[in-house]
Amino acid sequence: MAATSSYLACTKFSMLGWSGGKRDLRMKRVLSVSAQQQAEVGETQEAKVQEEQEKVKQQQPTQPRPVEKQLNVKSKNMGKDYGGQWLSSVTRHVRIYAAYIDPETSEFDQTQMDKLTLILDPTDEFVWTPETCNKVYSYFQELVDHYEGAPLTEYTLRLIGSDIEHYIRKLLYDGEIKYNMDAKVLNFSMGKPRILFNNNNDGQFQDG
Amino acid sequence: MQGRLFVWLVKHGLVHRSLGFDYQGIETLQIKPEDWHSIAVILYVYGYLRSQCAYDVAPGGLLASVYHLTRIEYGVDQPEEVCIKVFAPRSNPRIPSVFWVWKSSDFQERESYDMLGISYENHPRLKRILMPESWIGWPLRKDYIAPNFYEIQDAH
Repeated sequence: MAATSSYLACTKFSMLGWSGGKRDLRMKRVLSVSAQQQAEVGETQEAKVQEEQEKVKQQQPTQPRPVEKQLNVKSKNMGKDYGGQWLSSVTRHVRIYAAYIDPETSEFDQTQMDKLTLILDPTDEFVWTPETCNKVYSYFQELVDHYEGAPLTEYTLRLIGSDIEHYIRKLLYDGEIKYNMDAKVLNFSMGKPRILFNNNNDGQFQDG
Repeated sequence: MQGRLFVWLVKHGLVHRSLGFDYQGIETLQIKPEDWHSIAVILYVYGYLRSQCAYDVAPGGLLASVYHLTRIEYGVDQPEEVCIKVFAPRSNPRIPSVFWVWKSSDFQERESYDMLGISYENHPRLKRILMPESWIGWPLRKDYIAPNFYEIQDAH
């Protein structure tokens, strides 16, 4: 059961912003992962469901293990009495919070500090597809596993965020993501588009 | 030529070493960390701690904490000044705090702690003042390597 719900959660998280126009709320690319290992059983079940996908990939990148979606999340511990407990690392494309953030209502629950939430590219500087989103989420999961045992401070969150930014830049240079030419702020923060970004990324606008 | 303070301290049998005069003609003395808290009280004659700073002498070497003291006088164009250096070993850099003698060393010792890791004993609130509280490492040490944070190098 845990596997099915996390699978659903995966699909939901990987939808693009503004797609379809059905939702009024902007669908952010939000992923919450637990900082602890989930049960092995859940892993194998999810592996069976995504069997075909695994056969295609030769090396198995870490599957993101999103936290189950919670109902009735309320913002907690956001008042100024709790000032100082907010752990976050925020840069232009990566926002990591040590809290549980509901993907739809954006309720920010600070008491659940064992979870890290990643909000990916809220300003839409790049064009994201489900595959590229999932790549970033897997990398995030790998990093969280790698940093297990480190103290939960803003310093480690900044290290994680920084590694993810480097990874996004690597994806850009490999041509897997492109700049979004409809972005409000078009300043090519990861380098002006070049023909030889290791690949041919001439910054061309892509339907999304 | 030995400075006045050096001569006076020798006369009173207090252990220190003279480091000569610096380019502005200010006497510089070196004092050991163990003796510093007692000598600091004696040096309250120089009532004004002009500045307290610290620096890293050499990679793998000592850490220095520098105190620049003057006496406030009126009608003099060259007030008496003296510069005291206290060297602490890198492996255990502990120096007695002079907060209880000169209050202005409060933030300045916190800055030396933040940047070099010199821990000042008996300082009332010794914590990081410039870097975020959860920072790891002592940024102004000569062997400090900043982690490869993305935004520092690459953002446009």
